[in-house]
This record gives sequence, structure tokens and C-alpha cells, in this order.
Amino acid sequence: MSLLLPKLTSKKEVDQAIKSVAEKVLVLRFGRDSDAVCLQLDDILAKTAHDLSKMAVIYLVDVNKVPVYTQYFDISYIPSTVFFFNGQHMKVDYGSPDHTKFVGSFKTKQDFIDLIEVIYRGAMRGKLIVRSPIDPNNIPKYDLLYQGI
Amino acid sequence: PGSRRPEHRRETARFWRENRAEAALRERCVVPAEEYECFLRTLERALAEHERQEEERIHQMAADIREAERRQRETVQAALQVGELYPALAAPWQGLGIMQSTLTGTGCAREGLGAAGDTSYVAEQPGPSGIQTGPDLAWMESGQALTFIGHQETEGKGNVHTGAKPPWLTEEEDETKKQIGPSYEEFLKQKEKQKLKKLPAERVGANFDHTSQTSDSWLPSFGRVWNHGRRWQSR
Repeated sequence: MSLLLPKLTSKKEVDQAIKSVAEKVLVLRFGRDSDAVCLQLDDILAKTAHDLSKMAVIYLVDVNKVPVYTQYFDISYIPSTVFFFNGQHMKVDYGSPDHTKFVGSFKTKQDFIDLIEVIYRGAMRGKLIVRSPIDPNNIPKYDLLYQGI
Repeated sequence: PGSRRPEHRRETARFWRENRAEAALRERCVVPAEEYECFLRTLERALAEHERQEEERIHQMAADIREAERRQRETVQAALQVGELYPALAAPWQGLGIMQSTLTGTGCAREGLGAAGDTSYVAEQPGPSGIQTGPDLAWMESGQALTFIGHQETEGKGNVHTGAKPPWLTEEEDETKKQIGPSYEEFLKQKEKQKLKKLPAERVGANFDHTSQTSDSWLPSFGRVWNHGRRWQSR
């Protein structure tokens, strides 16, 4: 059973989500609904949302609708997923150069579930940055060099 | 060179005087004009030859780089075509080993890339210019052609990496409450919650869900109005 994931379509709505989601990991997927890799990722998010509902709240955000956030999080590739807990941006070390967001899709639903659990537990213990439990081979590689071109 | 001959003799003589060297040796140390001329000519020739060799080496390196880039571009093009025609063939998550061994063919591209969401961007990016051909194609290995949506220029405002103020903390719109922190009513609610926690957990109605919606016909249960059964059953 996969539910339709809720969407945030303005800066105000994103602000509201960040400030009001309490005691659970807030997952914001930045991307476009029609993009191929976003579709892959959204499928995983939708299928796991119910099982993770005690630990996480998931929203989809269209990068075109929130330019302030697209710029602030320096989102050059989509999908990019950002995590929060009680209004605080959570950083994750995936072994890739950028700890502020997860770029690309997950290989399996289990990878995403494991990541949420680690973020949740870390947040409960007061950590602002956690180590990703995902096998580095399953982390999508992307080239930051493109930013200069 | 002509003007240097007398100066050379004078300086040699001076050096001999100052250092009281053996006069007989001096003549042998003075460099004859012809030898000097010869030296100059040889020097020019050697220098020209060296410069020529260096230029040739640099041109060769440039050609190698261009060749590597061309091959990378071709591989990406082939991959895109195949990826669009046969998306089912695009298997993600291939490891580096496959990339290195099938670099010259289109095989690697077929195995390595999924359908690109925004093909125009991916097609124009041939990858970093490098003579190495294996590890530098790591950007393809994951099987995800990520859509590039552009370098995020902030015109000096900063972003998450530079520690700029997060957008959710910038209050631009009109907010009726100017105070920071919870309002008075929220504070009262909090006090109530604290009181609740102090009550025994097994008390009646401890798990009452105040927010649940009830239908019009709902009535509270107050036990055995019509008095069937024993008294203890009215709990």
C-alpha cells in the first residue's frame, strides 16, 4: 500500500513544516514530480512512509516553487533530500562531499529505512550530524566540478 | 663578444693579483675568443632544440587529452541513445570494474546509465578532462543520470555551506506575534500537561483522546442504566 505523499508548494509551507513537525524526522524531497530519478525516489518514500510514520514525516517539494530554499541548500542536482528534527537541520556523512543533503535516489527501501532510524536515534541523543549506515557503493556519485561550468 | 675580450683579460689579471695566484696559470685560464664564440653558437643550438622538444611534448599531451574527451563524449552520446530506446536495459548500480573494462564500447554506457531526465544538460557535460579513463568516469557508475538544475547563485547572500541565516528563521511576512517563544496560552497548556503527568497512569480516562472526532449519536458510557447483570459488571 503506498500513499500519495503530501506536497509543499511555497516557502511559507516549508517554513511551517520545519517549525511545526515535532519529535519526528522531517524529510523534504526537493525535485520535480516528473523527473526520472525523482520518480524512483518518490516511489521508495511513498512505500516506506507508513512503516516510518512513528519516526518520520515526508513531504515533496518542487524546486521551481521555492527558489529561496533551492538556493539556500545549494541544490544543483535533483532529487536532493534534506532532513530536519524539531526545526534543526540534520547533517549526515554519507562518504560524499556534501553532508547537508542526500543527492539522488536510494538503492533499496531498506537503505532509506536504515537511514531514517539512524537520524532519529542520533537526534534523540542530541546529535546534529550522524554517520550514514548505507553502503558507500549504494550512494549515488555526482560531480561537484560541474558547478563551475 | 668583441668588447668582452679586453675586459675579460683585465678581470682575469685583477683576480690573479688579488688572490696572488701563480702567474703562469693565468694564461691558461683566459678563454680564447674562438672558443667563446663556439660556446655561444652551441648554446643557441642546444636551447632551440630543447624548446622544440618541449613544445612537441606539450602538443602531444594536448592531443591525448582531446582524444580522451572525445571518447568520453562519444560514450555518453551512445549511452543516451540506448538509454532512451531501451530504458529496461539501463541497469543501475554497476560497479567501477565494468566501466574500466568496457570503456571503448557502448556496452558500458548501456549498463551504466538510466534514462536521463534532462538530456540536454547531460549531453553537454563530457566529464572532467583527464588522461586517466577509469576512475574519472565514477560519475556514471551509479546508474543515475541526475538532472542538473544549475549552479545556485546567491549573489552574496550565502547558503547552508557558508552558514547563512536559514530561510525558516527569516521572518519577512507580517507576523502578529512579535514575541519569541511560546505564547501565554501555550504556556498554560504546557502547565496542564505537566499536571497530567503527575497523575497516576492507571487512573480512569488517562488514555482519553481529547482530539478524536465523535459522531452525533455518541453517548458517554456510564454503566448499566438498564440494570442487567451484577453490580460489579458495571465497571
